Amino acid sequence: MGWWDTKYTPYLAIAPFFVVFGIFGLYPLLYTAWVSLHDWQLIEGSQGFVGLANFRALFVDPNFWNALGNTVSLFVLSTVPQLVAALGLAALLDRGLRGRAVWRAGVLLPNVISVAAVALVFAQLFGRDFGIVNGVLGVFGVDPVDWRAETWASHLAISSMVVWRWTGYNALIYLAAMQSVPKDMYESALLDGASRWRVFWSITVPSIRPTILFTVIVSTIGGMQLFVEPQLFDPGGTATGTGGADRQFQTLVMYLYEKGFRLFDAGYSSAIAWVLFMLILLVALLNFTLTRRIASKG
Amino acid sequence: MSGTLVGRVSATIATVVAATTLVACGGGSGAGDGKVKLSIGIFSDFGYDNLIKEYQAQHPGIEVEQRKVKMEQHHTQLATQLAGGRGAADIVAIEEGNVALFRQSKDKFVNLADYGAKELKSQWAAWKWNQGTTDDGNFVLGLGTDMGSLALCYRRDLFQAAGLPVERDAVGELWPTWQDFLATGDKFTAATPNVKFVDTAQNVYKAILDQTEEGYFAKADDSFIADSNAKVADAFKLAASLGEKKQTSALAPFSQDWNVALKQASFATTTCPAWALALIKAGAGDEAAGKWDVAAAPGGGGNWGGSFLAVPKQGKHPKEAYELAKWLTAPEQQKRIFKETGNLPSEPAAYKDAEVTSTVNDYFNKAPVGQIFGNSAENLKPTYRGTKDSKVTPVFNNALQRVETGKQSTSDAWDQAVREARDAAK
Repeated sequence: MGWWDTKYTPYLAIAPFFVVFGIFGLYPLLYTAWVSLHDWQLIEGSQGFVGLANFRALFVDPNFWNALGNTVSLFVLSTVPQLVAALGLAALLDRGLRGRAVWRAGVLLPNVISVAAVALVFAQLFGRDFGIVNGVLGVFGVDPVDWRAETWASHLAISSMVVWRWTGYNALIYLAAMQSVPKDMYESALLDGASRWRVFWSITVPSIRPTILFTVIVSTIGGMQLFVEPQLFDPGGTATGTGGADRQFQTLVMYLYEKGFRLFDAGYSSAIAWVLFMLILLVALLNFTLTRRIASKG
Repeated sequence: MSGTLVGRVSATIATVVAATTLVACGGGSGAGDGKVKLSIGIFSDFGYDNLIKEYQAQHPGIEVEQRKVKMEQHHTQLATQLAGGRGAADIVAIEEGNVALFRQSKDKFVNLADYGAKELKSQWAAWKWNQGTTDDGNFVLGLGTDMGSLALCYRRDLFQAAGLPVERDAVGELWPTWQDFLATGDKFTAATPNVKFVDTAQNVYKAILDQTEEGYFAKADDSFIADSNAKVADAFKLAASLGEKKQTSALAPFSQDWNVALKQASFATTTCPAWALALIKAGAGDEAAGKWDVAAAPGGGGNWGGSFLAVPKQGKHPKEAYELAKWLTAPEQQKRIFKETGNLPSEPAAYKDAEVTSTVNDYFNKAPVGQIFGNSAENLKPTYRGTKDSKVTPVFNNALQRVETGKQSTSDAWDQAVREARDAAK
């Protein structure tokens, strides 16, 4: 019995996760794949097997490529500044500040506010006629920007929402990692006359490499699945779900939503879901290799 | 020792599985106190709060819960719930523009004729009744609630500043046709260039379309005709010309920004079906009381909006649900809803009733809304709604918005819209 115990108990102990994942993760994933091979109407269900027709249609669909482009643009615009800012913020929080706990808890605040509330506030900030951002720009003589109509402006506005929400969260993760970097390494570097900047790049960043890797991958997944912020930024809301009158900020998940839940084309929507899944795997893998290489050079 | 550990682990697994099944089965379970629990899924303001309290008092065995969400969300949610076979309310509201789509999935709904709904037919304006039925009237999908006959709301102070007539009859005479409406817009803009004449091109477009017999789809066979129906193209061009001349505020109708613009009095007119009065009042706020007024719409009557109450098959108490829906849509209740929210009854017995026709709306400068909307309801010829109407409509709205924001010319926007609409209607 003792042998059986040591050999199998650990598997049993981690099994609950995999059982739950199987039910709520794997099964829907496979079911989605099954649906994507059919002409499937949302309410009425399958209208017949069509093989890869949904995928073939998807790859020549200009709206799909537009959504992909928007997603990548929003992902880069939000993830890069977010992680860089988080790294800097964590380095500052890592110093002996007065009232440390308050500052540290404070950076997490944007993250605990409901995303719907955030979107509501930002929608007002970026209002065309009466928005505060345009008001401030006006002081400097800049013409009002139609934040929803212009592609670049809408991307900036939405990214600012994402950056605002997630920077503090990532900063806390970095901070936790920085705390475990041995202090004597810093001391000896400073004794050798290294600048703070140099210490940061040569000691801090390489030491928290696995953590950076983790945040990059998590943000990749989050960035590729961006949905709520742009959806709520769209004044047409779910009525159109097109991300602006010209699809200027429609992300892949928004397109999936439009096809599946507004046009009731569940088969096509499932095909988008699967392509998105593959894309995320691919980008995460790419990021993994890139980040590892960059970080190991430092 | 080892035995207990294995036991503990398997107990954990059992708990997890049990918990997940419990979650899956949660909701929908019967009430413990023996009462029949009915839920009713609606959007915006149906004016049911007081009515439901009264119904519960009259029927002690019944408890009614209202579920309110935003309109677009409501219909999307309903579609998923019908597809999943669970989660839908016992009674669900379906808006006029969506009813054709759900008529297609009638097998997911209770045929209200089974409970005797056909006897009620004479209560409604004939077209309203027909919209809620299918199979030559043998399948009753939903009972009509309100309807949305059309008027035009305008701001008196802004009209005065522009040197235009202010009294509602004179204002109505400014625009017998939509062309006259455009001409008034030019005058208005010339006099007060900083105020927009109309809220959005979309609403004007929708109003004109609602005055035609056929829109995007042919009445005869539900085929796609948006590309050949000159009335659609004309309505589009007329509305777009307002956008081209920058006489619209170019905001999404009924959005947050639209509310702000109302508050700031940055547009002077908006097309207003009966139910829109409540939205205008809420957006413009108390300080604008008496400044808005209601005039006749250009081009005569039209129907915009109005809903139906349907009973999904998945509910546990179809009979009780039908009884409640029947009561809520009866003329007596429709009259009371009109008093409360301004939603126009869809039943002649209600909208011709002296109580309704004598109603004035204090907020809108004491406009005789009962008369204005009642008259408009009498002359109303409903537009045929195709099965895929709700899929095609946003495409044209987006196109108009592109014109309003100066991103596309009218003809480019139109071409793109027709192309996209053809795809959506496939």
